[in-house]
Formats: sequence, C-alpha cells, structure tokens
Amino acid sequence: MAPSASAVLSPVDRAALAAALGDRLRRRGMPVTLTSLATFTRALEAAPPDDVESLYWTARVTLAGRADDLAIFDAVFDAVFRDAAMPVEGRRQRPPVDTGSPADVWAGLDAASGVDLPGQGLPWHTLPPVVSSDDDPPGGTAVPERLPSALAALATTPFEELDEADLARLGAWLEGALVRWPTRPTRRRRVHPHGERIALRETIARSRRTGWETMALTRTRATRQARPVVMLADVSQSMRPYATAYLHLMRAFARGGSAETFVFSTELTRVTLALRHRSAAEAVAGATRLAPDRYGGTHLAASLQALLRSRHGNTLRGSIVVIASDGWDADEPEALAAAMRRVHRRAHRVIWLNPRAAAPGFAPLVGSMAAALPYCDDFLPGDTLQRLRQVIDAIVDA
Amino acid sequence: MRDAADVRRRLDDHDYLADVGLSTALYLSLELGLPLLLEGEPGVGKTAAAKVLAQALDVPLIRLQCYEGLTAAEALYDWNHQRQLMAIRLSEARHEKLAEADLFSEEYLQERPILRCVRYAGPHPPVLLIDEIDRADDQFEALLLEFLGESSVTVPELGTFHAASPPVVVLTSNRSRDLHDALRRRCLYHWIDYPSPERVVEILRRTVPSANVSLIASAARFVGHLRTLEVEKAPGISEAINWVAALSVLGATELVREDVLATLGALAKTPDDRDLVAAAVSDHAFG
Repeated sequence: MAPSASAVLSPVDRAALAAALGDRLRRRGMPVTLTSLATFTRALEAAPPDDVESLYWTARVTLAGRADDLAIFDAVFDAVFRDAAMPVEGRRQRPPVDTGSPADVWAGLDAASGVDLPGQGLPWHTLPPVVSSDDDPPGGTAVPERLPSALAALATTPFEELDEADLARLGAWLEGALVRWPTRPTRRRRVHPHGERIALRETIARSRRTGWETMALTRTRATRQARPVVMLADVSQSMRPYATAYLHLMRAFARGGSAETFVFSTELTRVTLALRHRSAAEAVAGATRLAPDRYGGTHLAASLQALLRSRHGNTLRGSIVVIASDGWDADEPEALAAAMRRVHRRAHRVIWLNPRAAAPGFAPLVGSMAAALPYCDDFLPGDTLQRLRQVIDAIVDA
Repeated sequence: MRDAADVRRRLDDHDYLADVGLSTALYLSLELGLPLLLEGEPGVGKTAAAKVLAQALDVPLIRLQCYEGLTAAEALYDWNHQRQLMAIRLSEARHEKLAEADLFSEEYLQERPILRCVRYAGPHPPVLLIDEIDRADDQFEALLLEFLGESSVTVPELGTFHAASPPVVVLTSNRSRDLHDALRRRCLYHWIDYPSPERVVEILRRTVPSANVSLIASAARFVGHLRTLEVEKAPGISEAINWVAALSVLGATELVREDVLATLGALAKTPDDRDLVAAAVSDHAFG
C-alpha cells in the first residue's frame, strides 16, 4: 500500500531535499541549475508524490534536462531512494523498533558522509521526525533501525551462515561505520575558554590590544589525541567461519585510523599494510595470503609473546587491544595467562571477542579462555553484524 | 678529527670503545655538518656516545631530554613573562609609553637548549644531544626541522638566529614509534647493535677496571646467553657494566651462583625475568 502523500512529504524540508539531491547529481557530473532545483521544489509542493515512483518522475522531469543525463540521474536516484545503506550512528546503538509506519519509505535516507556511493542516502535533516509509537522502550525515544533490505536480514545472522556476497556487503558497511575514534588526553595544551590553566604568553600577547593592561585571561587545556588500537584475529581452523568478518572489521580500523592489525594461527602475522588496500576484497584476500599458517592449529600464547617481543610491542602501551579468538589454544593456559598479564599491564583496555560466547549456555570453560578472562576488560560475543556494532561502540568508548 | 680511525682513537681515550660503523657515522656527521640519528635497543650506549663525543671534542654538551608535550617553549626559546609584566607596571608607574618592540627584545628572551646551541659563542660549536626523540610527539619533530636543516631558529618577534658554525647534533631513539621521513631525511642514520661477546669483554675491562679478568669473561658470556633466552628486557651493555661492577664490589673473582643471585637486580628488571635468570644460572656451566 502506498503511503499517503501527507505522511511522506509533509515533515520533509523540501528545499533541503532538493538541494541535497541536486548536489549529489552535480557531483556525479550532471549539470543541475538552481532554476531546475527551484522548479523541483515547487513541483513537490504542487504535486506531492505519494510513492517513490511518483517522486522519481517529479524529480526526473524537473531536474534532468538532457537524455545523456538520464543514466546518471537513474543511478543517483536509485542509490538514494531505492536501496540505501544502513545508517551510521555516532551514539550507542538502540534496540531495533519495527514501527511499520510510513517512515519506512524514508528509512534509508541517512548519510554520514558526503561521499557519493551507491547505497547512501540524503542528509538527516531531510528526514521526517521520528514519531514515537507504543513499541518504544521505556526511558527514551528510539530511532527505528534503518537497514537497507540487503543488510537488515544479516543483522542477527551468525557469521558462519553468511556467504561471500553477504560478507562483502558487511565489509562495505563496516568501512563506513567507524566515524569516531577513541582518544586520550595528551600533555600538549591548546587555548580554550574553559581551560583550567592560564597561558601567560597568550595573555600578554592579548593585552597588547588594551595598552598592555591585562583585561582578559587566556586559558589552555590539554588536547586529546587518537588512542592506538591493536587488533588480533585468530585465523585457525576453529575460527574459520568468522575469520573473514573479523578481517573486514580490522580493515575498517586499519583504514579509518591507525590501528595495528595482526592475524595468528600458529604464528603471528602483521596484516596492517595489506588491509589498507583500497578494495575490500583485495585487502582481505591479501591479508589471508599473508598468513601462511591460516586454518591450522592455534598458538595463542606464543603469538601474544611474539607481539610483545616485536617492535610493535611498544604500540600496546596505552592502547586498546582487541583479541578475536574462541580461546582454543594448543599452548599451556599458564603461558597464555602470563602473556595476557603483560598485555593487560601495557594496554589501556583489553577487549576479547569470542563468537562462541553467543551460544546459549556458554561458559568460558576451555582452559585457555578461563586463564585469559581475568585480564580482559570486556568480553563480547561479536558473532553477528548487530553485535559487531556493540563491539565498535565498546572500542570507541573505551 | 682527521678520519674515522681518529674519531675511534679519541673516543677510546675517553673509555668509549666505538666500532667502525659508529666511528664512521660520527666522523661523517662532524665532517658534513649533518645531524646523526642513533637508534638501537635500550642500553647499547647511544646517549653515552654523544656524551663522550663532547668530551673528546672538548666542547660543552647541551642536552634536550624529550617527552610527550614538549613544545617550543621548552626546546627552542621562551619569553620571560614575569619580567615583561614587571616592565609593563614599571612603565605605567613612570608614565612612559611602552612599544611592542620594548617587550619582545632579546632582554626578555629565554634561551632553551636548541637556541642556546645556535647562539653559542665559543670557538668550537657544542654537541647537542636530543635524547629519546621517539618519546616526543610527532608535532615536536616538525619544530626541529628548521634547526636540523639550516642550523637556525626563527623567533617571530626578533628574526632568525643562525649558528656561526653548525652545532654537532646527535639524536637518539629507542624506536618506540616511527619517526617522520622529513626528520630522517635531514639526518645521517646509524643503528647500534649489541656488541659481540669479545667486545663486551673489552668494554667491561675498560669500564670496570677493578673486576677480575676471568670474572669479566664469564659474565660477558652469561649476558650473551641471556639475550638468546626469552627475557622481557634483554640486558644491554649498561646492565652488563652495572652487574659486573656489582659483582666486583661484592668481591667476587669468579662467577658463582650465590653472587649472581645476590646481584640479580642489576641484570633482571622484571619479576618474570628474575625467575628466568635465576633458572639460567642453575643451567649455565660457569668456567
């Protein structure tokens, strides 16, 4: 059933919608004049579209002036309105709420960046306001989980049930999902009105304007700096169904910031450079190729020792360490406990992802997992897309 | 200094045994007027090399210890703000007019190590040691570029100070973070490795003259053996020197188990290493 016209368009800022769509079209190389944008806006008012199809034609008639532009127009329109990406939220994820309201038509109209890729929507300010429904959880309004049709189905599917194409989609979403980065305070200071220390140099420089009479004090406060992130993924036989998904997660961090990434099975392999490759498929394939021992046994303790000994061992200081492993280790649990103790002492926070922890009735009974657990600050399942979101939040807010 | 061998000889006179690589690097740095970047594991004598170089050249050593948040105010120059405030009050009291140039003149300039180096007035340029540059943040590296490239420091209010003759600059790094290429590009680079056991013996003989010859030989062997074990902090030359000095103070002439255990603190720097070294003592055949 097509939603009624008022439900679709009345809450939308038409001018913003027109401007944003026009901007996207221009960036793809289609000339869009201000006049045609004004026409489009007026057309929206004059003939409020009641479904995507009528919106398509309204836009096409008013904006696309030449036959050559149609291909671009169709591509952009499809990307924006027909299959948009899962939105990226800077805040902690809220539980999904199925509103079933007409807002679903606009569900994908959200974008975190201006990069025009297929699957990205319009800016948030063109969205209709969220109408609270009876399904809302107590204690606050919830934004409906906006998922493109393709990804929505994957959100709660365990990684072992995903195929190659699903994983590629997952990787594409993860790449855009990292919008913040954990920070730490530095000893460097910047002028700030709410600073707690007086900066003499700036204060005197400023008093020059008032004939060297100090009228206002200039203050400084500590700046913040990106915190190092070190990620290790287990690529042994037992972790095989999850390895690709975790490689995609590590790629997001390796590209989005300055995370050091490693894979291990029987030995430790650094994959940061391979994962920074522009193409996700190429990056993951390259990282997989680098690990000669993939899908073999696990020497978790030895791999951690190797990391501590290597020159990246110093990167661990004050960092957030993410270890993705099921904790099945061929080494002695005592060796793992010793290595984890050292990692824990160096790191700011240790986060362990165990995809098997999601299974009902899971308890960390494997000797190595039990040995490592006291040195983990967070222990997360991370076996589905939805849980990976929690993982990203946990890392960013650490 | 005439050539690398001469550098080596002069350092030798000050009890620093440099190998061919280090002496060549130091000679080239002096001859070409380029800064020298020394990297190596902790305790292989990077800082000591700069100190001894200053002694051998008979010039003062100016040292800048790096730490996170190091800024121009601590490394290059600062203004004496207290005196500036005083001058403002004074001119008020005397009803004088105060120009900006009066407040930002050399009178109020405070030299920090790098500017002191540039304005050094002696006949021979001093040695500037920029120690553990990897501990400073990368913004600080950018501050150094002008000085490393041109041996000059620019104070916006006063102008650019040029060094009469370029100072000898030695930078050291423990490689806890990668330095920027722009910094590396301006420097000569030398990696100091752990010396061979024979060299360790020579160095120990020189630095701990009171120690027994056979004690030194077996201690050097034992330290070399420790480095092959999985210790958290591999003992460098400075630990070896401290350890042999400790043994010598205790009056040991041979390496015996009790003495080793008593002086373990000079060699092993973490509890895990202490256990490991103690176990290695039992396995190691002294002789």
